[in-house]
Amino acid sequence: MARVRGKRLKGRPLRRYALFIALAGLFGVLLLQTSPRLRAMVDPTRAMAADQLASSARPGLWDQITGKAAREARIRELEAQVRELTRYRSVAISMAARLEAYEEMLNVMGEPPVRGVTARITTETNGPFREAILVNAGRLQGVEEGAYAENEGGLVGRVVQLGERSARVLLVTDFNSRVPVMGEASGLRAILFGDRDDLGTLTDLPERGDFILGERVLTSGEGGIFPRGIVVGEIVQRGGTLRVEFGMRDSQGGFVRLMPSMKIPTPETFPVQEAPSEETETAASEGAESQGAQNPGAP
Amino acid sequence: MARRRDQGAVSGISRLWREAGPTSRLIIGFLMVALVGIVGLTPKSLFDQELVWPYAALVAAVGWGRSGVAFRPMVLLVILGVAQDVSAYAPLGCFGFINLSVFGLSAAFSRAFDRERAPIISMAAPVVLYAIAFSLVWLLASFASGHVVQVSPLISAMVVTYVMHMLMAPVFDLGRRIVPLTGSMV
Repeated sequence: MARVRGKRLKGRPLRRYALFIALAGLFGVLLLQTSPRLRAMVDPTRAMAADQLASSARPGLWDQITGKAAREARIRELEAQVRELTRYRSVAISMAARLEAYEEMLNVMGEPPVRGVTARITTETNGPFREAILVNAGRLQGVEEGAYAENEGGLVGRVVQLGERSARVLLVTDFNSRVPVMGEASGLRAILFGDRDDLGTLTDLPERGDFILGERVLTSGEGGIFPRGIVVGEIVQRGGTLRVEFGMRDSQGGFVRLMPSMKIPTPETFPVQEAPSEETETAASEGAESQGAQNPGAP
Repeated sequence: MARRRDQGAVSGISRLWREAGPTSRLIIGFLMVALVGIVGLTPKSLFDQELVWPYAALVAAVGWGRSGVAFRPMVLLVILGVAQDVSAYAPLGCFGFINLSVFGLSAAFSRAFDRERAPIISMAAPVVLYAIAFSLVWLLASFASGHVVQVSPLISAMVVTYVMHMLMAPVFDLGRRIVPLTGSMV
């Protein structure tokens, strides 16, 4: 019993000393942190600890298990996208207004209003012959000869055969199709045709310059079939050569939109009406006056 | 019948708590402080009013201190202090120093005046200890930030901490008693 009591008595001062030592140690740590250099050394560790301990934005274990953390991360990502797109929308609106103002100043002939027919693809022929599709809209639905077809991905082809209720569209992926194109960034012009490996090949390339890898390929509007600026695809590299990956393949929803082709009449169709010359006009007026003098009673 | 069952459950818990040793009580108390602290890290408001959160580690320091000076509570209080320093962006060691000071004062107070666990001392002693603790918080915060910090938020926190003390003090009782002095009437 006496031993136990003695042990207790021995233990207590030790604990008391420990308390004072700990207090002194902590106070010393506090004092040391008044030195900016030491504080700078402590700060990174402290920031790391704060990230682990005090960050309320950090998802908890339960949130990770239930998938709430992933959902919230996705929501944050989408919100960021919406913010960015809102910014782009306002830029686009202002640019459209500016473009309109410039066109008005320059007296530019605007594009005709777009009208088209959306049709369902009823038949696809991807055999060894022509790559074409048959759609369930024809002349009765307002489809015109030479109309072109597009989907969400870009240009699909052009109408090569028109019926009353259906139309056949030759795809741009076909070997026989020829689409005048241009690079969106480089501005280079070329003719595009489909090849066997589902990629487009560019021909009639300019001697100088080259298309840029990854740039979009648009219709150039030359030839008068396709209007300028329709997306056709993207430049990719295959076997050391630049090819075109067709955009239409990205979205095959089973529908296409048939748009009337760009028809610009040739100058011969509507020639300028020549105005009558000044000499002929005076001769005619003189003749009329002399006739009036000879026959004064004439009305 | 249901009331009797409830009473039975409560008495069962109190019996379990009576039988629990200091280690179990220490662990439970530590977890309690950690839980209150973690909840305190989240944004809390009621009817657009920011809620004042108690300093649970101080309640633990006062409660554990009443059972006398010991190593394990000291270590735990230092650990909790570091966590408080990090979360409150206080200089490292600040809350550890405050917690240990309150712990030591609580032990000294109990040894000097509260051997018999008189209700009046049990009520009044924590008020004095919290007042000292929050004075230390104010002092160190003022020194650390280089200007005199506001007192009113600290007073609010002190009141809330005292309310928490009244509700949860038994959780921080380690079960050890500082023995009454020989010849006392108890």
